[in-house]
Amino acid sequence: MKFKIRTAKQEDCKEISRMIMDLAVYEKMPEQVKISHRELERDGFCHNPFFECLVAEVPEEHKSSQGHTTVGYALYFYTYSTWKGPSVFIEDLYVMPEYRGKGIGSGLMAKVAQVGKEKKCVRLQLSVLDWNTPSLDFYVRKGAQDLTASEGWHALRFDGEALDKLAAEAPKD
Amino acid sequence: MANFMLRKAEPNDVSDILRMIKELAKYEEMEEQVVLTEKELLEDGFGDHPFYHCFVAEVPKEKQSTDGFTVVAFAMYYFTYDPWIGKLLYLEDFYVMEEFRGFGMGSDILKLLSETAVKTRCSSMHFIVAENNRQSIEFYKRRGACDLSHEEGWRLFAIDKEDLKKMTTI
Repeated sequence: MKFKIRTAKQEDCKEISRMIMDLAVYEKMPEQVKISHRELERDGFCHNPFFECLVAEVPEEHKSSQGHTTVGYALYFYTYSTWKGPSVFIEDLYVMPEYRGKGIGSGLMAKVAQVGKEKKCVRLQLSVLDWNTPSLDFYVRKGAQDLTASEGWHALRFDGEALDKLAAEAPKD
Repeated sequence: MANFMLRKAEPNDVSDILRMIKELAKYEEMEEQVVLTEKELLEDGFGDHPFYHCFVAEVPKEKQSTDGFTVVAFAMYYFTYDPWIGKLLYLEDFYVMEEFRGFGMGSDILKLLSETAVKTRCSSMHFIVAENNRQSIEFYKRRGACDLSHEEGWRLFAIDKEDLKKMTTI
């Protein structure tokens, strides 16, 4: 099946938002999605965007059972390793179930890797849930190393009340 | 010793920042992995499109370290994005020189970072810690941090340059 991978435009945000929710449902955490296409439009297409996005499109004759032609996306941003320099972090990579197994996921990843290379990134990182075997296998096949397993890294977070409390105690100038 | 000042890092600070990056890597038992140079730190943090932001803690000359340093702590962060909640502040490195610990510097830096996160409309502050670094994990948990690897099962993966190159030739 023919497909095209291109840089997302602001108009794509509604479709990207639809697929973000699909991915959250797959990851068993749909109640955690708090933002809509409006925030994506604001944060991804402003002067200094907080993320970049690629979308995968199929021709009209291959549209999904619900009429969609945008069938996959990769949302990523740039991070910085104090050891090695600029890196790319793929935050979300998703292909609608009926379009899997056709090279779209690989195509999205290859394009992100290419963009990263152009920006002199030395590494690509991502997080995967420990039970998500299909995704774990996909990334490991491409050479990904599990740093949580090999080096013991854990992801931590401050949010909500804990963040507000810390912020309220910040030293005054 | 309660006398210290927190401020935004300036280009002149890169030498001290790199020194402390190496000290932190040594503490994490991964010193040989630091390949970044001062020149790269300067270009990447103080050019047109900085990849990172940095706070440093400075003590007065009379309180300098045994090796004569007055810049004694740093925190490096940047902004990332969570498609579920929006902007995040990501804390990449956070370090206080050993002889300056226990004086509240680390706590104050963390509070300043949190204030920055809230002011810039970030929903959350994220970072990673090695699981054998019990001291740091306790420091963060005491202040309300949640271990996402433990509670939600997130594992961190990396694909290095050689494998990235292979992907781009598909």
